[in-house]
Amino acid sequence: MGLRVEHIDKSFAELHVITDLSMEVREGSLFGFLGPNGAGKTTTMRMILDILRPDSGRITWNGQDVSNVPRHNWGYLPEERGLYPKVEVEEQLLFLARLHGLSKSAARAHLDEWTQRFQVTEYRKKKVEELSKGNQQKIQFLATILHDPLILIMDEPFSGLDPINATILKEAFEEMHRRGKTIIFSTHQLEQVEELCQDVVIINKGQTIVQGSVREVKRQHGRNVARLKLDNDAEARWLEELPGVQVTKRRQDYIEMQIRANLNPNLIVEEALRRGGVISRFELTEPSLTDIFIEHVSEAPHPGVPATLSA
Amino acid sequence: MSKKSGAVLEREPPLREQSALTISRGGAAHQHTLRNIGLIAGYEFRKRVRQRSFIIVTIIMLVLVVLGACAPTAIQYFTATSSSQTKMVVVNNAGPIAGMNDAALSRFIGTALNGTATPATGTNTSGNPPYSIRIAPAGSSSSSLQKQVKDGALSILLVLDRAPNGDMHFTYYTNTSNSSLSEDPHLARVQAFAGQLNVLDKASRLGLTPTQTASLFAQPAFSAVNTGQNSRSVADTVTGYILAYVGILLIFMSIYLYGYGVATGVAEEKGSRIMEILVNAATPFQLMVGKIVGIGAAGLTQMAGFVVVGIGALLLQAPLKAPLLGSSAGGLNLDVTGASVTLLLLLLVYFLLGFLLYATLFAAVGALVKRQEAVQNVVQPVIWFFMVGYLVSFIGISSPDAAWVKVISYIPFWTPTTMLMRIGTGAVAWWEIALTIALMLVAIFLCAVISARIYRYGVLMYGQKPGLRQLVKVVRGA
Repeated sequence: MGLRVEHIDKSFAELHVITDLSMEVREGSLFGFLGPNGAGKTTTMRMILDILRPDSGRITWNGQDVSNVPRHNWGYLPEERGLYPKVEVEEQLLFLARLHGLSKSAARAHLDEWTQRFQVTEYRKKKVEELSKGNQQKIQFLATILHDPLILIMDEPFSGLDPINATILKEAFEEMHRRGKTIIFSTHQLEQVEELCQDVVIINKGQTIVQGSVREVKRQHGRNVARLKLDNDAEARWLEELPGVQVTKRRQDYIEMQIRANLNPNLIVEEALRRGGVISRFELTEPSLTDIFIEHVSEAPHPGVPATLSA
Repeated sequence: MSKKSGAVLEREPPLREQSALTISRGGAAHQHTLRNIGLIAGYEFRKRVRQRSFIIVTIIMLVLVVLGACAPTAIQYFTATSSSQTKMVVVNNAGPIAGMNDAALSRFIGTALNGTATPATGTNTSGNPPYSIRIAPAGSSSSSLQKQVKDGALSILLVLDRAPNGDMHFTYYTNTSNSSLSEDPHLARVQAFAGQLNVLDKASRLGLTPTQTASLFAQPAFSAVNTGQNSRSVADTVTGYILAYVGILLIFMSIYLYGYGVATGVAEEKGSRIMEILVNAATPFQLMVGKIVGIGAAGLTQMAGFVVVGIGALLLQAPLKAPLLGSSAGGLNLDVTGASVTLLLLLLVYFLLGFLLYATLFAAVGALVKRQEAVQNVVQPVIWFFMVGYLVSFIGISSPDAAWVKVISYIPFWTPTTMLMRIGTGAVAWWEIALTIALMLVAIFLCAVISARIYRYGVLMYGQKPGLRQLVKVVRGA
């Protein structure tokens, strides 16, 4: 069961933002929601949260329309951070947690636990505007999870975090995952998705392009990646002529190429040896999500939106 | 699930949550409406009351209220202690008047001018009467006294003579800054007792006994009957006018200030993007109502503070006056309890209804702007609209029972100020009050529904400026 988005459409005035988008998120999974800028991720998230309503199609949680799911089950981290800048951290976090349905004592207990975990206890009496950006981000995350929601929807939670804070956040994700929460988040840092997520969806121009478990997506991609290094022939120009092989990167220490899934990689080694090459490195890897992402998104270039990635 | 996660991996069974979801099906955020409104209102109230500007304004206003309440006493105190008494010298060349010697004449004049008999010498007792009267011996040099009047050492010189036929003749000298003598406040009073003296004198010369003279002056049996249903005393009318003026001003100012606060509050939440989290936790309706109630409560608290401190300061005036001014001082007696209690209650009712009505509009327009700085522009039309009722209240005060004033007072947006004016100044039937309150409640309900829709639509709109046609579509519930 879990969350099911079925054939939704949404337009604002003349602008068609989402077209027949479908996706499924298993309950309790860590789900990566990917797509270039302007693909419709934020709009989709808002529709999942019932802040916006789709023009057609439906969104259900365990078979129930999302508009009927009690609000305290949802936790939302909006893309553009929002807190009361002139109010103390503690006061607004307690207010938000209670507004989400927590009792005063429960809100306090959760606040104690999470401010310790996030190492922000000393900022509890500070105003939000007095905090650094990274710490504001942590507080924002606390505002999302303090009421102990069942489903977390987070719009680029990692943006603007330094490696240390990103690690703290990643650990928090894993903790929430252990507690059985369903976590849906969007990001442009695809290594994080490979590290954390079981399932992903990639959307572009308001449509689903690829979806499934990370492994499935890679298999569906139909290509593998091989890396080759020849000590006596760094260029290895002959690779370009091999059918089913496409050189993608030439690095100092290796040449990376994509090979068709049904191509026997032994052919490459055989060809190299036939040409008298001295092989110092040959490895087969799965394509990275970044490769898949770039390939899918640039197949259908979005006017005005460069399909660039921060990763 | 609030347990701290230790070394043990906790995996909560999703099944339990599922059943919880099915139970509360159909409720969503609506089920906690009252709780959420209370939470939001409390948060808004605390936030506002703790603001430095709120505290500073409150303190300044409280000081002003106390000063205002003490001002009459202070003025009385200073006028009494300073020698700004009206000094009057009477030169009696007319001999005994109606059998009164000089001392009796002094007492008579003192009673006529001060309301109490004044010792002839005018000794300075505590609580100086407004006039000090001295009778100069007959034949005193009129020219030297006139010079004293001219120099300002004397305020008034009154010379009493007799014409050859025995009739009294009064000559009044003064040096007034008033352009014409008719504006001299003392002249009328002096003329009044001169007239009395003249009649008394003539009566005694005609041989009437003092009793007969007294019966001549006795008031006739005269009863006044007002056939209007809301007959009111002069004092009530004056209090009504004052309360109506103050009330209209108060209603206008506070609705403006706190309504503006609602608009900026909404715009601030929208601008800082916290709105996206809030709309996930509560419905736009709850957010709007909670904000309005919270800010309204802060406003009411402030005003209640002014009223309580003001009444307290007024009540303190009596004990303050006793040692300062002496028991004889009557002074300004502001009878708080004497003010029409119903008018005060209605002032409160119309203020609350008016605030609620306009606050919903302010919330809606606040939701339509992108940034807090733009609030000023969108609030203007609402303010101008409100101004219509405000101006009608002041224009209509001279003809509160005119048909057009009545019609306007039934229109909910203009009811608070115009009805207050009508109740304060004219006759208003109880059913009119009931009707206007009912109409306002209906208007508040409708505006709240419409505003909640605009609010829901507006709070997450950051891009395009919404056109009028689009707003109409939103309001219709598209």
